[in-house]
Amino acid sequence: MSNRFGLPDLGVGIGLRTVHYGHIVDAEPQVDWFEILSDNYMHTAGRPLHFLDAVAARYPVALHGVALSIGSTDPIDRAYLGELRALRDRTRARWVSDHLCWTGVAGRNTHDLLPLPYTEDTLRHVVDRVRFVQDFLGAPLALENPSTYVEFAGASMREWEFLARLAEAADCAILLDVNNVFVSARNHGFDPRTYLDAVPYDRVVQLHVAGHTDHGTHIIDSHIGPVVDGVWQLLGEAWRRAGGVSVLLEWDAEIPSFEDTHAEALRARRFIGAAA
Amino acid sequence: MSRQIVDQGIPHERASATPDAARRPARGGAAAHVHVEHPDPGDLTLRGRQRWFATAVMTPESDPSPAGPGEVERILTPGPRLGATERLEIYRRGYHARLVECLADDYPVLRHALGEDAFDELCRVYIATYPSDGPSLNYYGRRMAALLRSGAGPALPSRGFAADLTTLEWAMVEVIHAPASAPLTPEGLAEVPAEAWPGVRLVANTAARLLRFEYPVNRYFQAFRGGEAAPLPEATASATVVYRSGPTLWRMDLTPPMHDALAGLVAGETLEEALSHAEAGLAGLSEDEVGQRVMSWFQEWVSSGLFSGVR
Repeated sequence: MSNRFGLPDLGVGIGLRTVHYGHIVDAEPQVDWFEILSDNYMHTAGRPLHFLDAVAARYPVALHGVALSIGSTDPIDRAYLGELRALRDRTRARWVSDHLCWTGVAGRNTHDLLPLPYTEDTLRHVVDRVRFVQDFLGAPLALENPSTYVEFAGASMREWEFLARLAEAADCAILLDVNNVFVSARNHGFDPRTYLDAVPYDRVVQLHVAGHTDHGTHIIDSHIGPVVDGVWQLLGEAWRRAGGVSVLLEWDAEIPSFEDTHAEALRARRFIGAAA
Repeated sequence: MSRQIVDQGIPHERASATPDAARRPARGGAAAHVHVEHPDPGDLTLRGRQRWFATAVMTPESDPSPAGPGEVERILTPGPRLGATERLEIYRRGYHARLVECLADDYPVLRHALGEDAFDELCRVYIATYPSDGPSLNYYGRRMAALLRSGAGPALPSRGFAADLTTLEWAMVEVIHAPASAPLTPEGLAEVPAEAWPGVRLVANTAARLLRFEYPVNRYFQAFRGGEAAPLPEATASATVVYRSGPTLWRMDLTPPMHDALAGLVAGETLEEALSHAEAGLAGLSEDEVGQRVMSWFQEWVSSGLFSGVR
């Protein structure tokens, strides 16, 4: 089935990571799809593209970025967008996503996914920039809800309202990361189901799950370790509400073997199957 | 002429995860003294808040927060279990941890040679001296050798060795990201008439870096990769070529005459000019022996893919 953007449900995939290159290229394991961290394949003309081309020739892929900085007040980096579009075309990626965040300002880059103050001014600013990016790419951009560790005083709405209004006003897609919902809910003290209730599911083109690190006082979105049950439950609910949508596991530190990583991702089938 | 493979994917793999700084705590070394322009906390525009936030996040962890008393609490909210300042600190720790991680991925052998504490301190000086100004981390660590040669950073037991080792490791990063060039084939060589050989100029592989050092850094690098505990070496001149053939990265040690001849070829000299540089280093050999030696090098370099064409 397709969503409102005509994008397919690719099934359950995993993020392509360099430690798995050899296995994927040599063994060509059965995997529904791979998510490509686009920034790892931009600003390079070398070896990373060699492996990427091999993967993209064999599997469906989607691009996922961390450096678009859609919420920054610096000018949009058109050179970056040009390279992103070229990578999308090279890999025949089904869609392009990044995060609802900013990464730097005044020419400095923190390489972090920094939180936005959710105000009417910020909403207008981000809507304009999303529209520009979508015009440039000639395709919808999917924006992911980030994990956050602070909120701004003076915010006039919560993130779920901001995301829903942004998606409507900019006519963009949503990559709903249910682990990020779980993490932010604990860090800010809200009910994750309040967030899920506010999501416009006809705009959701992909769901993320991941492991995290619980420090008791707060949770870090570390992408380490297996997915906790609470996140799997959220995945099942979101998948059911979206009516079937591509699912992806992110595992970015202390990465296990390909087989173990993929097996963890496939646990998703139990939850989306139960919810279907 | 021995060559060694380097099994390395992408030096630093960028992801959307937040580094768990608790797993890599700051080690307490002082970063560079930098002037931090403190933005106006009363500027409540989006840009004003972003400038304030970025300044707070990028301030070295060894420095006090640039925010005045009560300032953080006026701009950020407390959470259920952490105050506003503690919440902001998660971002400051994450910023520095991510960049230290990036530099550690670029310089694994330098990190081993210096030890965790000195390497961490060096990285924090680097981060304070060179804040990132672009969207990619692929080239963020490019100035590390320059920083070491400038004398900045912590006291190190062998700064010259560290700078040479850094140069070798950075060359590998460059070669990984350099565009591929198809290697010169035997068929391509066969097209050159015998009488034209002395005047031939070769096109170097775009993914190759020829390096000359004051220290035997490739030997140290190889010992590390082999799991051997090698002491920091004394100064001894060495030369290494780092190159990529397809997806595979190689390092090849060169003697001084080999280096001189290869440097000439890479610089675009004719075969005759470039190979003549090797003669001084092969004193004592007959003319025939010199010719055979030099031709064996040349054949090895061609078969290794160090050249992509003839002009």
